[in-house]
Amino acid sequence: MSSQKHNIRPKASTMGGGSKLGYFLSRALQNLRSNRMVTILTVSTITIAILIISLFMLMYVNLEGTIEQWSRKVVVTVYFDKEPAPQDLMSLKGRITSLSGTESITTVSKEEALKRFRSRLKGQESLLEGVSPDILPSSIEITLKKEFRSTDAVNIYVARLKKLQGVGEVQYGEEWVRKFMLFFQFVRILGALIALFLVLSVVFIVSNTIRLTIFARKDELEILALVGATPFFIKAPFLIEGMLQGAVGSLLAVSLLSAGYFTILSNAGNFLTFNPADAGLVFLPASYIAALVSGGVLIGFIGSLASLKKFITI
Amino acid sequence: MIELHNVTVRYQTDAPALSSVSITIPKGDFVFLTGSSGAGKSTLLKLVYGAVQPVYGHVVVDGQNVTRMSRRQIPFLRRNIGVVFQDFKLLQNRSVFDNVAITLEVLGWEHNDIKKKVFHTLKRLGIEHKLDVPPIRLSGGEQQRVALARALVNEPRILLADEPTGNLDENNKDQILQIFKEANLRGTTVLIASHDRRVIHSGHHRVVHLEKGVLQESGNVQSKA
Ligand SMILES: Nc1ncnc2c1ncn2[C@@H]1O[C@H](COP(=O)(O)OP(=O)(O)OP(=O)(O)O)[C@@H](O)[C@H]1O
Ligand SMILES: [Mg+2]
Repeated sequence: MSSQKHNIRPKASTMGGGSKLGYFLSRALQNLRSNRMVTILTVSTITIAILIISLFMLMYVNLEGTIEQWSRKVVVTVYFDKEPAPQDLMSLKGRITSLSGTESITTVSKEEALKRFRSRLKGQESLLEGVSPDILPSSIEITLKKEFRSTDAVNIYVARLKKLQGVGEVQYGEEWVRKFMLFFQFVRILGALIALFLVLSVVFIVSNTIRLTIFARKDELEILALVGATPFFIKAPFLIEGMLQGAVGSLLAVSLLSAGYFTILSNAGNFLTFNPADAGLVFLPASYIAALVSGGVLIGFIGSLASLKKFITI
Repeated sequence: MIELHNVTVRYQTDAPALSSVSITIPKGDFVFLTGSSGAGKSTLLKLVYGAVQPVYGHVVVDGQNVTRMSRRQIPFLRRNIGVVFQDFKLLQNRSVFDNVAITLEVLGWEHNDIKKKVFHTLKRLGIEHKLDVPPIRLSGGEQQRVALARALVNEPRILLADEPTGNLDENNKDQILQIFKEANLRGTTVLIASHDRRVIHSGHHRVVHLEKGVLQESGNVQSKA
């Protein structure tokens, strides 16, 4: 048999990577269209899954915001040995500010201290009538940087603070801080565990849904293999399909979440929020949204890949 | 072109599907493979396109040892082999065109070339007017032709056909056989599994006979019609 008789043109080499991608993409789209019901099923599964994860994220972000607000109350209060002269106060403030771990400082004057005391005695202010501000000491209140708000860090900070000249008594809510930080740590670990569980179950559910779509087309996989398609050629359209479904599903979920957030949650925020300092619930930051969408794409990809493994054997 | 050396194939069952089969089919040959149901005809064809691996012996196709091929090489072997399957294996929810085009898409042909070539091949088989119809709305004989078109469209060096005249009338059988002969004239090596007496005796062909997995050479059969 002479080769002239077989004029198989070497088309494969003339076809660039771009047009191959185009071919895979068009086949993926064609398949999505012709298997409409299963496509809708897969996309809804991904949407619901991502929606649950994003709701969970929203809760976490808000909880963390609230906790951050609370932990601002980890305030170290410095009293003085004796009332400092204005320039001594200035230099002490300078030294405290340059201490590592200091986020901000506020001076509480005698007048301010009396005002606070008065407001705490609501309704019985008359008790303080005629009392001079001199009965209460002035002080400096220090807010610590986030990473200095744990028990050990606060202890170290306070030890260093006490060495500064002019610093008298130092008060800080040691016990309260410790318990609070433990609780925060617990919330974080619990959150991470729940998130991990959610992601795993989503991948499992999605790969099972995609398996349905691939099972419905196992004839096609078989025929492709029999006419000489490489495993990559067989898999590529399915992987693209999975990624497209993941993208659409997660974009839908994010849209639903923002729609829900902006219509309901932001209005009701004032009732729901447990942190009065916060105006309302915050929405997910852009980086989280990006992570959710790429997560959806990745779930579609992994789901397809995992299901394809079971079918492409020849 | 196709060589089997002492090939034994065993499925899960005790009795081997093929026992120590040896055969050499040279380039450009036209061979009929006969034998009763379960004799191992389909199994022998599957060996050639790498869908079944022997427990003993080896298979050489086009100078390449199929038995020692890696999974990555099998697709490239298959691109030179057109197969008409006993059960057609057509995609029922796709058009006739799509079913035939798949062979060329896998080879990376461009869309316009595919269109021309598929149309040309379907015309050769007399079913070009069914281009847009899904196989489910075709008769058995028409489906047979679509399956044959898919196998022939890239002008493979080897054509394997498993019972290609199974449910055809006499007239159709002759037409299909004519297409095999034409392909053979162009240089394609043809191996047809069939127990159709009329087909086997339709010309001057080499006939090999399988019986319970054992091969017997029957020599050339003269037309006795
Ligand atoms: N996938 C399989 N698993 C187990 N046994 C099989 C398988 N395929 C074929 N066999 C067995 O191998 C033997 C040969 O089968 P084969 O399909 O090659 O026969 P055949 O000659 O093509 O028969 P027919 O004319 O009915 O198509 C039979 O006994 C069959 O039961
Ligand atoms: Mg058979």
